[in-house]
Amino acid sequence: MALTFPFAAIVGQDEMTLAIQVVAVDPTVGGVLVLGDRGTGKSTAVRALADLLPPIAVVKGCPYRCDPAQPANACPFCQARNPKSKVVTERQSVAVVDLPLGATEDRVVGALDLEKALSQGVKEFAPGLLAQAHRGFLYIDEVNLLDDHLVDLLIDVAASGENLVEREGLSVRHPARFVLVGSGNPEEGELRPQLLDRFGLSVQVRTPQDLALRVQIIKRRDAFDKDPAGFKAQWHKDNQKLQKRILKARELLAQVQVSDEMLMLCARLCQQLGTDGLRAELTLLRATRAYAALQGHSAVKPEHLNSMAPLALRHRLRRNPLDDTDSGARVQRSLQEVLAA
Amino acid sequence: MNREASRPPAPPEPLERWHDALTALQLLQLDPMGFGGICLRAPHGPVRERWLQALAGLGLNTVKVPGSVDTERLLGGIDLAHTLQTGQLRTQAGLLQQADQGLVCLPMAERLASALLAPLVQALEQGQVPPTRHSSAPTATRFGVVALDESLPDEPGLGAALQERLGVWLDLHELSPHDLHAGTALAPATDTDPDALQLQLSPAALARARERLAQVQASDDQLQALCAAALGLGIGSLRVPSLALRVAGAHAALNGRSALDADDLGFAARSVLAPRATQWPAEPSAPEADAAPPEDPSPAPEAPPEPPPEPGEAPPKDQEPNDDAQDPGPPPEPSAEDLQEMVVAAALASLPPHMLDALMTRQGAASHNTSGRSGQTRAGAQRGRPLPPRPGRPGGQARLHVLATLRAAAPKQKLRNVAPPAAHSQSDAASSLGPARSRGRVAIRAEDFHIQRYQQRASSCLILALDASGSAALQRLAEAKGAVELLLQQSYARRDSVCIVAFRGAQAQLLLPMTRSLVRAKRAMTGLPGGGGTPLALALKMAHEQAAQLQRQGVTPILVVLSDGRANVTLQGLGGRAQAQTDAHNWGQQWRLSGHRALWIDTSVQPDTQAQQLANTMGASYLPMPQVQAQRMAHAMERVRSPLA
Repeated sequence: MALTFPFAAIVGQDEMTLAIQVVAVDPTVGGVLVLGDRGTGKSTAVRALADLLPPIAVVKGCPYRCDPAQPANACPFCQARNPKSKVVTERQSVAVVDLPLGATEDRVVGALDLEKALSQGVKEFAPGLLAQAHRGFLYIDEVNLLDDHLVDLLIDVAASGENLVEREGLSVRHPARFVLVGSGNPEEGELRPQLLDRFGLSVQVRTPQDLALRVQIIKRRDAFDKDPAGFKAQWHKDNQKLQKRILKARELLAQVQVSDEMLMLCARLCQQLGTDGLRAELTLLRATRAYAALQGHSAVKPEHLNSMAPLALRHRLRRNPLDDTDSGARVQRSLQEVLAA
Repeated sequence: MNREASRPPAPPEPLERWHDALTALQLLQLDPMGFGGICLRAPHGPVRERWLQALAGLGLNTVKVPGSVDTERLLGGIDLAHTLQTGQLRTQAGLLQQADQGLVCLPMAERLASALLAPLVQALEQGQVPPTRHSSAPTATRFGVVALDESLPDEPGLGAALQERLGVWLDLHELSPHDLHAGTALAPATDTDPDALQLQLSPAALARARERLAQVQASDDQLQALCAAALGLGIGSLRVPSLALRVAGAHAALNGRSALDADDLGFAARSVLAPRATQWPAEPSAPEADAAPPEDPSPAPEAPPEPPPEPGEAPPKDQEPNDDAQDPGPPPEPSAEDLQEMVVAAALASLPPHMLDALMTRQGAASHNTSGRSGQTRAGAQRGRPLPPRPGRPGGQARLHVLATLRAAAPKQKLRNVAPPAAHSQSDAASSLGPARSRGRVAIRAEDFHIQRYQQRASSCLILALDASGSAALQRLAEAKGAVELLLQQSYARRDSVCIVAFRGAQAQLLLPMTRSLVRAKRAMTGLPGGGGTPLALALKMAHEQAAQLQRQGVTPILVVLSDGRANVTLQGLGGRAQAQTDAHNWGQQWRLSGHRALWIDTSVQPDTQAQQLANTMGASYLPMPQVQAQRMAHAMERVRSPLA
């Protein structure tokens, strides 16, 4: 297994790392969309994500890595298992699955198991990328260039948490609940609004223009390339610390209080910005709660909302496709107005 | 510095370029996967042949990946013949696994489909082949890429995602074989042997250089210089300085140093930074950075502050890194600013002239970032909505549809198992596996093969030819821009891409290469000034070329001309109304012959027959603008499109 750059060693790009941590605390926030130029550390940060997450318990042998505590309804493997027998579990690290641009449909959704079909004449399903990403993260680099038919597939699965395969004479339903993480360069193309909506948070990254910061980044990258294992060991402690913080935040999450006042604030903000549907409010709420937990607070405060609102709402504004002003600024402005009111 | 002495004084520019190309090869041998690889832009010809020969002579494990390769072969997959023969799944390693510790060579890399490019980039970045359907675990493989890009300067080149990850960019477009001979005559002392380019390092030298590579250290000042130079040249990506650092490190190791010096930085600047420049650096002594850029690390070196204890400081040459650990302690330490200036100067000196022009007008950024091809696929693609399978041979573009194949074979199983016709299956049946084993086997014949088919809607690209000449600008340029914006919005809804050709004065320019980003389209258009003559013929010619290019990429072009049709600049860029009209008509006819659809929006105040005639010649729909309200124009667009639908 190739080593990934340690998350704690990432310099700058605070908004991006924050968004990733928030999603790690509460996956129900939805995915993260990272937009920005090439070579700004988008994929480095996302790939480093696996570091932040503690291993999860899975049902041994289950191709979909079901949770032993509550197997997914749709999992054919766990459904077929004898409910009386004891569940054997094992620990596995959280999957961060790459979906390459040129992936074929059968690779993504899964297809007929060729070996079994040929050697035994048995019709069996071989899971695809969506199955691998269950309970983990599905990472799409250059998501804005993804072919439309793949986007269609993703949109449905990302919403329902279930992958339905009806092809090649197969009829399979399996769980595929994953966090969508996308990155891309908006200069090269736009995202379909439907797909955009599936991402909980959206972040804009720019190349740091500060020379000292750039030098530091290059230095660390060089050190990592020269000796990945050593560099990783050097940052192990910081990574552990980060992981602990996220675990603690997860525990705290259930206790974080959201006052009615804050709910009103969220609703008013979304209303003022004219976002479609209620998904915006929900995401904003969850993100703010996760952020508060990450900060170790047990109640949501306006300042949490202040940090999270641009991330959660930026990509949901109705906007002229030709307008290139940063929506984040618009969100901030509205928020100030709402807070003042 | 002593190195400069051994070199011919101020070598002619093409020669230096060739030298760099050869040095890059040695770096590749030293560290094939350290810096991504090489992107070589050169037409097919003796120069490139020579370089490729030298590459082959390096003794590296080189795997050539043709554009027609399928994903299975690239990433590893089923060995179909064996599998069918034995009835057991047999996988084979893909080309990328085979290239482990070596090189992947991509001929005609600019034509590589994004479906292949994407997994390739992924494997390159992560050092492992992503798990395929038939192998659950990723297999580690580390390789460098040599991408041969034959695209012409105005064509979309290699996919941006891959290109960015390749460290060294070489451009041998302007080299002639003659230059190379001149080079070998001029520099007999260097590593180029006139006939056979013997670049291969001896195993011992290689081992020493590799050992040194692990120790090469860059000082903070040098790091800062590289970063600042990259920033100054408008290179935003942080991957680039990182690659440059590694190239410089390899260059140092090759030359027997364990610390970077000005020469290493200069090489990295020339081969990594300069080709990616998108702007002139702001302040340093830009234009007069002539001739000998790396030769001026003079600022400090005269007085070495600390006594350098090395006696053997003399030897380092281009070739055969002398072994003994000649102590690092690079005596003169130029300050960071000096270094930066030097790096920028080295980069500037190697920018080709026509590219500078592009940079001056800020076009470099646009034409370099284009990756417009991604997302589009040709008709008869391997992806899309599946259609019913049909009998056929798998291979090439066609993939076997396993279930249909099995289904076709199923009814005949009994027959085939009773009387095995082929010799090999007979022996199989009689083999020690026994009858029980053979019963579980499926007998499949070539006639059973079914292949998969997909249907994909061809995408289209709107070519907007926008007249910004004086006659148009006076009246309606702003209005025309508004119209274009409307069209853009529409094409956004349709997921079309756009490409803008603007013409005025004596030239037509590709304002925006094909893109799906409307923000960029709008930005490009808003900044467009007006005034000058109307070089209609030039515009039509350019639109025609663009259309041909798009067609080759499998994209359907649609042309929209916004002009008053009053051509007064000829194809040569000279004045002359009559000739200009004839030229325009000629190219209009060319368009008609190409058979693509077109719409002419007449932007003159009082529409006359001129534009209408031209539109007729082109086979375009004609629409005078005065009556056009924004909405009507949008409807007109729909009508142009619908005949096909």
